[in-house]
Amino acid sequence: MIIKVSILLIQIVLLLVINTGCMGQVNSISNNPQKDIKVEVILKTSENDFWKNVRMGADAAGKEFSVDLSINSPLNESDVEDQIRLVNNAIERKVDVIVLAACDFKKLVSVSEKAVDAGIPVIIIDSTIDSTRVSTFIATDNKEAAIKAGNKLVEIAGVECNIAIMSFVKGAATSNERQEGIYDVIKKYPKIHVLGIRYSLSDEVIAEKLTKDLLIKHPNINAIVALNGPSTMGTAKAIEELNLIGKVKIVGFDNINGEIDYLEDNAIQGIIIQNPYNMGYLGVKNAIDVVNKVSIAKTINTGSTVIDRSVMYLPENQKLLFPFIK
Amino acid sequence: MNIKIKKALKVISEVLYKTFKFGSLQSIITIYFAIIIILVIVFMSAVIYSKFVKTVDNNALVSTSQTINQVNRNLQYYLQGMNEVSNTVAEQLNSPSSNAIQKAKDVFKMTITLRKDIESIAVFTEGGDMLLSTSNLNLKKGLNVKQEDWFKKVIKQPGKINFSSPHVQNLYRGEHRWVVSLSKEVKYNKNGKMVRVIALVDMKFTAIDELCHLIELGKKGYVYIINTNGIIIYHPQQQLIYSGLKNEKVDFAVNNDDGSYIQNNNGEKTVMTIKTVGYTGWKIVGISYYNEMVTSKKEIYYFITSAVAISILVLFVMSLIISARISLPIKKLEKLMARVEKGELDIYADIKGENEVKQLSKTFNSMIYRIKNLMDENSKEQEAKRKSEIKALQAQINPHFLYNTLDSIVWMAENEETKGVITMVIALANLFRTSISRGKEIIKIKDELENARSYLVIQQMRYTDKFDYIIKADEDVLDYRTFKIVLQPIIENSIYHGIKRMVDRGMIKVTAEIKDDKLLLQVIDNGMGMSKETVESMLSNESKGKISSGIGVKNVHERIQLYFGNEYGLEIESELEVGTCVKIWLPKLKEEVG
Repeated sequence: MIIKVSILLIQIVLLLVINTGCMGQVNSISNNPQKDIKVEVILKTSENDFWKNVRMGADAAGKEFSVDLSINSPLNESDVEDQIRLVNNAIERKVDVIVLAACDFKKLVSVSEKAVDAGIPVIIIDSTIDSTRVSTFIATDNKEAAIKAGNKLVEIAGVECNIAIMSFVKGAATSNERQEGIYDVIKKYPKIHVLGIRYSLSDEVIAEKLTKDLLIKHPNINAIVALNGPSTMGTAKAIEELNLIGKVKIVGFDNINGEIDYLEDNAIQGIIIQNPYNMGYLGVKNAIDVVNKVSIAKTINTGSTVIDRSVMYLPENQKLLFPFIK
Repeated sequence: MNIKIKKALKVISEVLYKTFKFGSLQSIITIYFAIIIILVIVFMSAVIYSKFVKTVDNNALVSTSQTINQVNRNLQYYLQGMNEVSNTVAEQLNSPSSNAIQKAKDVFKMTITLRKDIESIAVFTEGGDMLLSTSNLNLKKGLNVKQEDWFKKVIKQPGKINFSSPHVQNLYRGEHRWVVSLSKEVKYNKNGKMVRVIALVDMKFTAIDELCHLIELGKKGYVYIINTNGIIIYHPQQQLIYSGLKNEKVDFAVNNDDGSYIQNNNGEKTVMTIKTVGYTGWKIVGISYYNEMVTSKKEIYYFITSAVAISILVLFVMSLIISARISLPIKKLEKLMARVEKGELDIYADIKGENEVKQLSKTFNSMIYRIKNLMDENSKEQEAKRKSEIKALQAQINPHFLYNTLDSIVWMAENEETKGVITMVIALANLFRTSISRGKEIIKIKDELENARSYLVIQQMRYTDKFDYIIKADEDVLDYRTFKIVLQPIIENSIYHGIKRMVDRGMIKVTAEIKDDKLLLQVIDNGMGMSKETVESMLSNESKGKISSGIGVKNVHERIQLYFGNEYGLEIESELEVGTCVKIWLPKLKEEVG
């Protein structure tokens, strides 16, 4: 009887010790309550520096708040179908929240609302979609950025000039807003004439060709404002090849490979840079807040900065222009 | 696993429920045991835990500052390396050789190949023209070196080695590398004439980044570097700092000496460790999160708590078992005693256990044995006493009767009824002979009937033919045995209560026969009879003393039952105005009995 009881006792002790071991593990996990949060970040592309910076910012937030972060993107910015597939995939994997930079204003609405219906909040960065059901929209205030670009244009080309606009996708929210900003500035100056507006489809080669055509058609153009990175590069290349550096001024957007050199060579007189790092960082940070039921603002402006040759090497701008990309 | 635990708990609770009664020896032993154990365990764990916590806190701080020291050593090594390179530059330029510039360039190129952390080496004249450079790239058009920070500093403080903050080197076209620049004044032997020139050594900033980036201060902790003015030289999240999304307490780090400081950062407790780097006056600041440092503290807390809970549980069960072992024999003894209390004396306690318990059970057994003996003795004594009482009563009858009889004889003698006197005296003599019967208690039925006859003769004469009597006995019963003086008290009762008050002449019938394998004697009269209550009270204890003659009847009944058992004795049937029949049941005894 006593032997039986002691065997039983030893069993109980062993069981409890094993259980305690499990408990210990559970506790060590519960010390990082956010480790369980699965954040899915879906970007437009992984190609250029802009998106690499978004990715870095997202990674930094992921590390800071200890979440399970996964970052995906279609190879090409125009591959809307692939992006829809990525969102569907995230819904299937039952992630806690999706951070999305939409490739298309309309085509990503239904899949995003499907995610919201499945209880997965959607946070939009950079480019929004045509839906009111997203949690927040974190991006550069495009109109504000374009107004800065407009003012820079007036500063370098004067209040009496002929200009052209190199936009990127006709009808896209971002390009529309940027165009609005430009027009907001130039309508104050009646002697500034817009001689043409072209759409590069975010392709350097197309932008270069369109610029050349435009300059042949309107040789009297004094300045071109290009509304995104590839458009700016294409425009600058055209100006360089036509030996018009300094004669046709350029105000551009973003900071992609080569733009800096054109800025230093004075082919481009000013660029508006966004803060992609902050976009990625704030996207993930607000995603965590949404999951944790912390109320967040409906729109968040990540800001924009005007850069020209004189300020490009200021310490605060160096970091924006020459990020460490690993 | 859970099912097993549930089963075990169920077993424990059942055991508890069965064995645990408040106030019992077991419960008291268990509770005292448990209290002592719990106190000791809790006290010990508290002491161990507090000691551990102190050690953990201390270790966390020590390991943080060790980590920071490691960063500091690496950084110093890095900066020292730069300085050594700049010294090499000075040596090369000091040599009086004619093609010193070309020779220096070759050496520098070699140095760069060997030291991957150096980006480029260049020397400029006081006027800002480039004397030599290891880079194959062209200088930017329209570049004015004199406007650069590193250049201006050397002009301002010629004797000093200047370390720049990390910056993008903007000397060369098409290249924008992050570097830390060392600039200092060196002497160039230009055709025997010493000229002042400025040496610039650019070190790859990624080296610093790698130094700090790989540092682990928990999962969230990090390291940043500031210069003497509080400007951040390196920060893993520099972009967040610039855009104002993150703030560091730089002022605090600038104004405080090396050491560790606990701070409250947006509601989170952090430990800031400051370490000043040699050469530059830079400060390395480590931020570690208190929660992460004390994770092990929480783990230990849970571990100790559960260990304490388990040991208390185990020890509680063990103390239950121990106390059960101690108290079980006593409980057994207690149960035996309860049986004894109910009157069971045929009990032998065979209980194994401690010496004391063995002794107790031994004593218990001998006590029970003695009680049993005493009780046997007592009942024997009681019996003897009652027998002697009965004998005394028996003796009491005779003088009373003798007096009356003698009175009658005297009375008859006075009336000269000689015949009557003779008959009566003979009957009296017979009566006495049988009643003495040589001291024997048991006599033959024959003799008892003779005795009854003598008595009836005497009484008939005394009451001057108030009744008749018949004695009728079967032949085969005559030699059976009975007590002496069984019939006489009953006949006496018949006469006094049945016949005496009768107007008519009565009749008493005495019979002896075998019925139902028992001996049956009957005294039947046709006298006044008795009420039911009188009949009932006659044989019960209540009659004692109420009706004097009842004593005799009852005495007979008790004597028979005492000697022969309850199946024998008297049985009275009576009806008022009709008569009474008293049946005397006796065993069929052939031999004399004690």
